[in-house]
Amino acid sequence: MDKIGSVLVIGAGIGGSQASLDLGESGYKVYLVESTTSIGGVMAQLDKTFPTNDCAMCIVSPKLVETGRHHNIELIINADIKEVSGEAGNFIVKLLKRALYINEEKCTGCGVCALKCPIEAIDVFNEGLAKCKATSVKYPQAVPLVFSIDLAKCIGCGVCEGVCKAGAVEYDQEDKEMEINIGAIILAPGFDEFEPESIKEYGYGKYKNVITSIEFERILSASGPFAGKVLRLSDGDIPEKIAFLQCVGSRDLKRGQPYCSSVCCMYTAKEAVIAKEHFDVINPTIFYMDIRAYGKDFDKYIERAKHEYGVRYIRSRISSISEIPESKDLKIRYETENGEVVEEIFNMLVLSVGLNPPKDAKKIAEAFNIKLNEYNFCETNSFNPIESSRPGIYVCGAFQGPKDIPETVTQASAAAGAVNVLLSDVKNTLITKKELPDEIDVRGQPPRIGVFVCHCGINIGGYVDVPAVTEYAGKLPNVVMADRNLYTCSADTQTIIKEKIKEHNLNRVIVASCTPRTHESLFQETIREAGLNRYLFQMTNIRDQCSWVHMHEPENATEKAKDLVRMAVNKARKIFPLERMTLDVIKKALVIGGGITGMVAALDFAKQGYETYLIEKKNELGGISRKIYSTLEGGNVQEYLDDLITKIKSQKNLNLYTNTHIEAIDGYVGNFHTTITHGESKIPAEFDHGVVIVATGSNEYIPTEYQYGKDPRIIRQSELEEKIYKSPNELKDVKSIVMIQCVGSRNEEHPYCSKMCCAEAIKNALKIKELNPEINITILFRDIRTYGFKEKYYQKARQMGVLFIQFNENQEPEVKIANGNLDIIVKKPDIGDISIKADLLALSVGIVSSRDENEELAMQLKVPLNDDNFFLEAHVKLRPVDFATEGVFVAGLAHAPKPIEDCISQAKATVSRACTILSKDKIEAEGKIARIDPTRCSGCGLCVLNCAYNAIELQEDRRFGTIAVINEALCKGCGACSGNCRCSAIDILGFTGEQIFAMIMGRE
Amino acid sequence: MVRKIIDDIEKSIRETAKKLLEEGKVDLIIGYTKGSIPLRSGPCFITDASKTDMLVWNQSCDLNLAKYLAKNDDRKIGIISKGCVGRAIVHLIVEKQLNRENITIIGIPCEGVLNRAKIMVEIGDKEIIEADIEDDKIIIKGKDFNKTLPLQDYINQLCITCHYKIPPISDIILGNKKPEKPLKDDFKDLNEIESKSSKDKIEYFKKELNRCIRCYACREACPMCYCTLCFIDQNKPVWFGKTADISDNFIFHMIRAFHVAGRCVSCGACSSVCPMGIDLNFITRKLEKIVKERFDFESGISLEVLPPMGTHKFDDKQEFMIEED
Amino acid sequence: MTDESKENLTEEWKPKIIAFLCNWCSYAGADLAGVSRIQYPPNIRVVRVPCTGRINPFFIVKSLAYGWDGILVSGCHPGDCHYISGNYVARRRFAILRDLMIFLGIEPERLNFTWVSAAEGERFAKVVRKTVENVKSVGPNKIFNKEW
Repeated sequence: MDKIGSVLVIGAGIGGSQASLDLGESGYKVYLVESTTSIGGVMAQLDKTFPTNDCAMCIVSPKLVETGRHHNIELIINADIKEVSGEAGNFIVKLLKRALYINEEKCTGCGVCALKCPIEAIDVFNEGLAKCKATSVKYPQAVPLVFSIDLAKCIGCGVCEGVCKAGAVEYDQEDKEMEINIGAIILAPGFDEFEPESIKEYGYGKYKNVITSIEFERILSASGPFAGKVLRLSDGDIPEKIAFLQCVGSRDLKRGQPYCSSVCCMYTAKEAVIAKEHFDVINPTIFYMDIRAYGKDFDKYIERAKHEYGVRYIRSRISSISEIPESKDLKIRYETENGEVVEEIFNMLVLSVGLNPPKDAKKIAEAFNIKLNEYNFCETNSFNPIESSRPGIYVCGAFQGPKDIPETVTQASAAAGAVNVLLSDVKNTLITKKELPDEIDVRGQPPRIGVFVCHCGINIGGYVDVPAVTEYAGKLPNVVMADRNLYTCSADTQTIIKEKIKEHNLNRVIVASCTPRTHESLFQETIREAGLNRYLFQMTNIRDQCSWVHMHEPENATEKAKDLVRMAVNKARKIFPLERMTLDVIKKALVIGGGITGMVAALDFAKQGYETYLIEKKNELGGISRKIYSTLEGGNVQEYLDDLITKIKSQKNLNLYTNTHIEAIDGYVGNFHTTITHGESKIPAEFDHGVVIVATGSNEYIPTEYQYGKDPRIIRQSELEEKIYKSPNELKDVKSIVMIQCVGSRNEEHPYCSKMCCAEAIKNALKIKELNPEINITILFRDIRTYGFKEKYYQKARQMGVLFIQFNENQEPEVKIANGNLDIIVKKPDIGDISIKADLLALSVGIVSSRDENEELAMQLKVPLNDDNFFLEAHVKLRPVDFATEGVFVAGLAHAPKPIEDCISQAKATVSRACTILSKDKIEAEGKIARIDPTRCSGCGLCVLNCAYNAIELQEDRRFGTIAVINEALCKGCGACSGNCRCSAIDILGFTGEQIFAMIMGRE
Repeated sequence: MVRKIIDDIEKSIRETAKKLLEEGKVDLIIGYTKGSIPLRSGPCFITDASKTDMLVWNQSCDLNLAKYLAKNDDRKIGIISKGCVGRAIVHLIVEKQLNRENITIIGIPCEGVLNRAKIMVEIGDKEIIEADIEDDKIIIKGKDFNKTLPLQDYINQLCITCHYKIPPISDIILGNKKPEKPLKDDFKDLNEIESKSSKDKIEYFKKELNRCIRCYACREACPMCYCTLCFIDQNKPVWFGKTADISDNFIFHMIRAFHVAGRCVSCGACSSVCPMGIDLNFITRKLEKIVKERFDFESGISLEVLPPMGTHKFDDKQEFMIEED
Repeated sequence: MTDESKENLTEEWKPKIIAFLCNWCSYAGADLAGVSRIQYPPNIRVVRVPCTGRINPFFIVKSLAYGWDGILVSGCHPGDCHYISGNYVARRRFAILRDLMIFLGIEPERLNFTWVSAAEGERFAKVVRKTVENVKSVGPNKIFNKEW
């Protein structure tokens, strides 16, 4: 069967959107199918995100807008999958698109229908905490901004049809069957929250002030039901004492799910911190079993929550909850760490609910014929974390297992990366390129401005005197025509605009209507189709920022609209055509580091036919994984590694250099040049490439603690692992093994969790018990962090008799060597000291970065490191494997400690991100970027310091001496450079000083 | 006593300059020489070892010689540097205007320079024929008058609070007297203005700046004003008015002051050269205070610390932001 | 002028405030205020800029020189900047500029800076109300005596 160059993505949350964008940018046609009416998923519901406290909406909405208008992405909303046939490379999928009862093409998203709808129903987006109409959109920033009618609520009064000037309401719309032919499928249906009603003891649904964490998230949100005020539902009072209860529905064999939901510890810490930020009087208390802050910089966040915000953490499972009828407060009984049972009153209880597989997981599995695991999540394995059981069908995000946003985004890109490998021969075959007329040369022409003022039905026209504004606009200097439209964004108006451009010989166009954030590109496209450069356009917002916010003062609103139009005209007189510079791309990749991460990435590049250079500083490939024999889940690491190395050595297009040192990396995205020396005799070599993957890995910490090195019985966990797999006989006479966790992690020197050590310890404990169940094993830990499905092995270890003893941060165990005995003493405040005799002491050491090497490479690539000397990605949440510097990516232990499956995901993710560049012959720079006037620049270098993208360099110029030079390929046009330039040598195209001055001088 | 120290320094300046030129360690010495009128000094540029006797050092040496170091000069230059000259050089190196290797900083301790504007106020419109500084007195001879003024009262205010009487970085240090520990600068001199109402403040500054004749001497004397084309001289667009109208003057001086934020080395050259006697340094002192208090930054004392506008912290103070309630 | 007649004058006087909003957070926050139909005074005129980092002090000085009664600058909250660190660069710049302008006698009430996120429609409206209140408290801008 022929391969098809298109992809179906199921689920348009952040994962599905990321996968679609990556694939769309890499030359594949994407069908993005969403079961609800808008994209964004759970992330759009969040208030802030940990560990940076970024505003979720601020960071996600640009991405959603981009997804919504990407020319290679076709959004299919309100649709379900019916049937899947075919095989990898060529599938046929039947789907059912449910009727919206509103025409998507015609709906402008103005919202009058919802405003006028007489029915008050419950808003799902706000978790049932706010009202919404039968006619509705999920949330104000929804993409696509198309309303829909919920027939279950609709009383058929016909009001919406009457008020919709766009004529978009279609009560008789019917469900529609569709069939699409694609080459690969990515499943990203996300998760469903655990529903705590089923556990009566929590009182959810019965007590008003017991709510779920996602409901609390909406309460925290500025766009939530109380506009960001933290109030309780029973009486609208500020809840001064809030209790958070962890592991609701997670790690609960009887009443919920046995696995750990991975994200609740962190989101709870975040919710507690944000609540405290909202109202200082709030005192949050968190009841927990283990704090699982295993991700990058998570522990630091918990420390801040505890010490800066005073969040109280109590390690205890509570025994009962009851409501005090008069106050609706909640009485909570729990056991303290000293074993005392106490009762405490709280004003509100937040249940940190876990992540369940999607409710329709079984249906999905059936339709796609894929296997689910024992918990009904999609089955994958450690070495293939994004591949389902059926070839050509990939999975990402929470459907693969509970996970947070960055891991979802990483997997989304990883799945896209796998699709790239599968379909590389047929990329760029199904995307369409629009034929555009040549641009009209407007140089030297006086401005001839056309102004289009929008009524937006009654949205603007009902409050602003649109005819008066139009008449006023027509009299402004250089305006040759002013017209008004019912809906300027409608398809017929686009035709009118094009005609007017021709008729009046317009060389500037202004639209006064809604917000440029969603509509600017539409109008730019229109004028471009009429032959004008797309930057000869200005938009002014007289709806969202005028008519809608001054509904009771039409005169003032009209006056404001006139001012805004005048300011836009002033600016339009100063605008000029801009070009998007194009750059050739060298379709070759450099991968630095020959561990698992680097090898996976290099193979995936080479398989697509991209010439790939894989360089490794050591003599042999494999990196830190040479010391690992098995994954917790039982995967054979050495076998996997050998297989990988064999493939690397025989792969076409793959050039391997070992014993390599990088001398220099010059250039920028699409055009790098690297010089290395390699081999024993330091042979020089150099090559050109378009992208760089940093996969340099990290090292095992070599302990100084616990008398390591002083007694042969004190070893590192990896040394124990070697004994288990290589020389199990050495364990024959061993009766007791003690393991100590967090050695060289979560301390002052290394204030982070190494993420894999808990799993390593449990893995080795289980293996030893398998060899000899008689050996006593004791694991001394601070928190057991077997997140996700790893929890199963923790439970298994306990069942098999492995003893787990918790110790506190400042009460580390003591190791005593005396009279040939090895004793480990654990201090327990409640029961006193425990002394354990050991024949072996295994130290679970952490992962540490290679500081000097990382610093050198960071300098060469001009990318940043974090405080712990791991590489720092561009954005912790949404750009987890990108650097701010374009064309450079990071994966694996170089980024942060993590297990093998995460390294593989990241490796594949970097491949996808890099393919968005390598798949193109030329990349287009932004039009609105910085420009330097060399005659004014004095080369002080301030702009170089201010630029977050390394887009400016000081260079020697024959005529002007040392001056700043902008690399147009890297510039994003933010203007941080220009804002500080004393010489006014830097200007920002599209927002020049002269243009902004013109707007300032638009005051009357 | 003071006179003796100063004379000794002057002597060693001449000797050092001569030696450096003779040994070929520098191609050029930039230093101070006697000015054309009493209590004035000027810059001098010496390439000939036999001419180093032109060099002088006294309390009238108020220019900032760093101004005379040109960006693209490849010669090896020795420069006589009191504290603020040294600071200017350091900051200019940070701003990539100078090449450290080409410059020999000849550090000298400075006990402060005279505030000539204040002397002129004291003696009125009369012409000074001869002036001399003897220990703690300034002895002035005019056509038909003699006047003796206490030196200490006529030392520049900013020299009294100066932290860096010798350059923070130098290649050679002359004079063996270690400068006295400077007073701790608490910016008390700004308090009076700062406590006034907006209306009184703007009236005060408008009155002061109204005298400006837009000669740009301040800009020409300032070691930090090295823009190829000053914003005020730019066209297309003309950013701000170029006339001596009070609004134009006010804006020019406000922006010029802003442009030296985190860069001003408190040499006072702007005030010293102002023909109208406007104390422009009073405005830039406020900026010194702002960057010191907000960002704990002082310009020209380190080659490594990034200037405040070139860096940032997550938790920079933002008390001025509007809060909701 | 008596205090009473002065008050009457302020009653009628409608201050004009220029608002520089960053495209990604504050402009979106202002849009959200609109979508949510949150009403606020009609005194601001928005100039959209890519980032607060773009805002050269010239724009602020020019606005006052040209007779705008007040300024509002709003960007992304610390940590939210679409351009990684533009708002941090801007924050230092505005801190210095504002301190300097106040020292020279420009009323602090005219110089309003803040952060508004894309989810904070309500906050945007509050910020506008506060800004209008601030500017009204100091009356029309008569700092400069001519226009350019």
